[in-house]
Amino acid sequence: MTEWERRRARSAPWFLLPALGLLAVFVVWPLLRAGWWSFTNADLLSPERAHGIGLENYGDLWADGRFRSAFANTWVFALLVVPLQTIAAFFMALWVNRPEPAWRMLRGVFFVPVVVAMPVLAVLWTLLYQPAQGGEMGPVNAALAVFGVPAQAWLRDPVLALPAIAFMSIWQGVGLQMMVFLAGLQGVSKELLDAARIDGAGAWQRVWHVVVPSMRNTIIFVVTVTTILAFRIFVQPYLMTRGGPGNSTLSLIQSVYEMTFVNQNLGRACAAAMAFLVLVGGLTWLQRRLLKEERE
Amino acid sequence: MRGIAEAFNKAHVAQGVRVDMSFFPDFQYSEKLAIAAAARDLPDVFDLDGPLVARLVDAGLLAPLDDVIDATERDDFLPTIIQQGTVDGKLYALGSFDSAVVLYYDREMLAKAGVTPAVEDEGWTWGEFMAACAKLKAEGIEPLAMHMDDGADEWFTYAFSPVVWSGGGDLIDPDFAQTRGVLASVENVRSLTDWQEIFMKSYAATDPVDPNPFDHGKVAMDWTGHWMARSHLEAKGARLGVMRLPRVGAQSSAPCGSWCWGISAQAKDATLAAEWLRWVTDAKTGVEPIVRANGAVPSRTSAFEAFPEYERMPYKLFREQLETTARARPRTPFYATLTGRFAAALRDIARGADVEGRLKQAENEVQAVIDRRGGTGGRKIKIKKKEKESEGRP
Repeated sequence: MTEWERRRARSAPWFLLPALGLLAVFVVWPLLRAGWWSFTNADLLSPERAHGIGLENYGDLWADGRFRSAFANTWVFALLVVPLQTIAAFFMALWVNRPEPAWRMLRGVFFVPVVVAMPVLAVLWTLLYQPAQGGEMGPVNAALAVFGVPAQAWLRDPVLALPAIAFMSIWQGVGLQMMVFLAGLQGVSKELLDAARIDGAGAWQRVWHVVVPSMRNTIIFVVTVTTILAFRIFVQPYLMTRGGPGNSTLSLIQSVYEMTFVNQNLGRACAAAMAFLVLVGGLTWLQRRLLKEERE
Repeated sequence: MRGIAEAFNKAHVAQGVRVDMSFFPDFQYSEKLAIAAAARDLPDVFDLDGPLVARLVDAGLLAPLDDVIDATERDDFLPTIIQQGTVDGKLYALGSFDSAVVLYYDREMLAKAGVTPAVEDEGWTWGEFMAACAKLKAEGIEPLAMHMDDGADEWFTYAFSPVVWSGGGDLIDPDFAQTRGVLASVENVRSLTDWQEIFMKSYAATDPVDPNPFDHGKVAMDWTGHWMARSHLEAKGARLGVMRLPRVGAQSSAPCGSWCWGISAQAKDATLAAEWLRWVTDAKTGVEPIVRANGAVPSRTSAFEAFPEYERMPYKLFREQLETTARARPRTPFYATLTGRFAAALRDIARGADVEGRLKQAENEVQAVIDRRGGTGGRKIKIKKKEKESEGRP
C-alpha cells in the first residue's frame, strides 16, 4: 500500500461518521428504545414511570382479539395483493412495451394513481363503492348492474370489505411495479427472443421460457418490495372503513397506531411494532433465501 | 384568540409578563399533546378536549385548579363545565364555552305531513318520534339528518350517548373501571335497538353525502349541534323549530362538553399560568370574545347578558338543557379507547349489525384495555389514597 492509499484508508471513517451518526440517532437508538419499552408497562404520557414486566406485552398480543384480527387481515391482504399485483404489473408491462406515442401515453395513464395522494384516492373509491341507498347507487354497483350483478354494500360488508380494499390497492400500486418491469424488459436480449421465434416458439412460450428467466432479478425485486408495502397497509382501510365493519379491515399498522395514541399503552405498542418488524424482516429474508438473485 | 392574548399582554405590561401562543392545527391535536407530554414539553397552560382531562390527570400532568378559581366564582360556571373538568372531586380544567345538541325541525314540512311537534323543553318520546318519521316518510319527505360521516368518530359518542342515558343505561360504571355488563346492558341493547330502527326504516342516511341537507330542504328534521343554529336560522327563519332530543325512557338527556384549559403539573410559572386561565375564562376578557367568534354557548352565567339571543329559541333551549339534563361524557382515563370502540359499534349498528353482539364485542375490547393497565392503575390508586389521608389530617 502506498503512503497515499494508507492515508486515504485512515481518513475513511471520518467521512462515514456523519452518515453513521445520523443512522445511530434516528434509526438505531429509537429502535433500541422501542425494544426496551416493549418489555415494560410504559405509558405514553408518563414513560418515566415504566418498570419491566418481562414478556407480558408479547403474551398479551396473542390474547388480544383485535390484534389477532389485524394480524390475520394483513396476511389476507398481502396474499391477495402480492401475487395479483405482480402478475398484473408483469402483463401490463408486456402490453405497453412499445415505442409508439399511444402506448407511451397508456404507460402514463397507468402510472397516474401512483402519483396521486392516497387519501384522495381513498375518498374517490369510497364514493365509487357507495352502496345502494334509496334510488341511488355508487358507480361500481351501477357498472356491475349492467352485467346483472346485484348491488353490494362493498365497504360495509364484513366479507367483501377487505377484498374491495385490496382491489383498490392493486389498482393504485400496479403502475409502479409495471414501470419496474418495463425497465427490466429493456434488458431482455432481442437475439434470444428472435431465436426463439425462429425455433417456432409461440407467444406464451417466449414469455415463459425467455422473458421470465431473463427478468428473474427484476421479479424478485418486485415481489420483495410489494410484500413489504402490502404488510404496511394502513391509509386505505383507515380512511375508507376505519378498520370496520367489526374488525374486518383492521390493519397491523392501525392497531399499533391505536395502541400508541388511543390506548396510549406505549409498552404494548412497542411490542406490537417489534413483532411487526420481525415479521416483515423475516419474510424479506426468507424471500431472499428462497429466490436467490443471479449475480454475474 | 390572538386578540385575547394581545389584550392580556397589554394589561400585564406593567408586570413585565406576556403570553406566547402556539397554535396547532386541530388535526391530531390530541396526538401532538400526547407527544409533548411524553417528551416533558407541555406548555405551562394548554387547551384540551374535555373528555381527555381524566387521562391527563391519571398521568399526573394536570394541576388542580382549587387555588385558581374560588367557590363563588365556580358557581358562575355552567354545571356541565364544572362536571367536565372535575376528576375525583377536584377541578382540573375550565372552558370558555359549552355545547348542545337538539332536534331542529322545519315547521312547514312537519305540518304538511300532519305531524305536531313537541314542546321545546320536553321533546318527543321515542314512539312519538318514530311515528313522526313514518308520517313524513309516507308523505314523501325524508325525515331526518344524523350526520353519520365516517371521519367524525367523536360525533357518535357525543351525539348519541343521550339515547343510551335517556334509556337508563351508561357507557361505563360510575367508578370508570368496568364496561363489561354496562355497555351491553339490557337497557342499552333496548335503547340502541330503538336507535337502529331509524336506519333500518331509512328515516336517516347511514352514508350521507350532503353535510347540510336540512338547510337545503332535503330533510325535515336535523339531529345536530348549536353550531348549526346560525345557519339554520338564516335558511329557515320563522319556519325553524327546535326541541330536546327524543327520549327512550322517561327522562330526556343531552350531551355537553367543549375544549377547556388546564395547567401543567410541571408548569414553570404556575402563577402566570393561573393568571392566563382566569383571563381566558373570565366573562368579559375571555368568554365574550371567544363566543362571539365561534358561536358556542357561553360557559358562565354572567356572560349570557352579552348575548340577548339566549332569550329566544333555539339558543334558550341550549342554555336550559345545559343547566338541567345535560351530562358530561365519562371522565375515565380510558375515554379515548371507550369512545373509539363505542363509535365503531354505533357505526356498525346503524348499518344493521346485531345490537347485542356488537355492543358485547365493544365492551370486551374496552375492558381488555382497562384490565391490561390495571397493574399501574392499582399503584396510582394507592398514591391517591395517601393524598386523601393527609388531607383528612387536621
